[in-house]
Amino acid sequence: MLTSELRNNVLVVHVGEKRVDASKAPLFKDEMTKCIESGQNQLVLDLSGVDFVDSSGLGAIVSCLKRLGPRGNLAIAGAKGAVSRLFTLTRMDKVFTLHDSVDAAVAQLSA
Amino acid sequence: MRPGKTGESTRMASSISLSIDSDLDKVAHIARAVRGVCSGLLSTDDADAVEISVVEAINNVIKHGYQGQPGQDVEVHVVLHKDQVVIDVIDHASPMRTELLDQASEERFAFDETNLDEVPEGGMGLALIQMNMDEVEYTSEGGENRLRMIKRVA
Repeated sequence: MLTSELRNNVLVVHVGEKRVDASKAPLFKDEMTKCIESGQNQLVLDLSGVDFVDSSGLGAIVSCLKRLGPRGNLAIAGAKGAVSRLFTLTRMDKVFTLHDSVDAAVAQLSA
Repeated sequence: MRPGKTGESTRMASSISLSIDSDLDKVAHIARAVRGVCSGLLSTDDADAVEISVVEAINNVIKHGYQGQPGQDVEVHVVLHKDQVVIDVIDHASPMRTELLDQASEERFAFDETNLDEVPEGGMGLALIQMNMDEVEYTSEGGENRLRMIKRVA
């Protein structure tokens, strides 16, 4: 469900599903873990193609941040509508840096 | 999924009933259907609020009530009134402890954001339902559990 590309030493991970919910969260977490274990610690999660995340999906994203540890960064790009609202409502917008676009997120992490 | 539109005799109300078996892959279908039913009455933000609440409620039934066991029933009844949408999620699993719902609130998200250990990875569903709906009530009677969620039309 994920594809990734390296830009300026930042791994950009695109989500190829419209919904990251309880049925998809385990696979999401597995694939993200592989990205993290490949040695990357500056990541951008591109949610621009996602229109729904539930608490299981959100929990999976949080667990990836925890796995990255204090030296890593996981920025969120392109969250909109219900997805952006979920981050705000749960105060996860204080935990993750949210960017309008992948370009903006990469620029910040590679600065 | 078994959609069955029934004309309700109650004035200004129409209802729709949907059911799925306890399979997380099917939750999205029912959530989109409920959203579609409410969309004429609710704003986009309120339809989002209903959709996430329905998803969290059904996920809880499947994961905790039926403990992931497939082939069990989950029903959703939606009644549209002029001024509110009433959604019942009905199951026949072991009942939930009502204090879990009573204690669920935005306090769940009052974590210290500078301490990653405090940031929750789970246990957020009931809090999200409480925060997204105007009224939430849980009853369990004769082996049937009913989570009633009400969203008022803004």
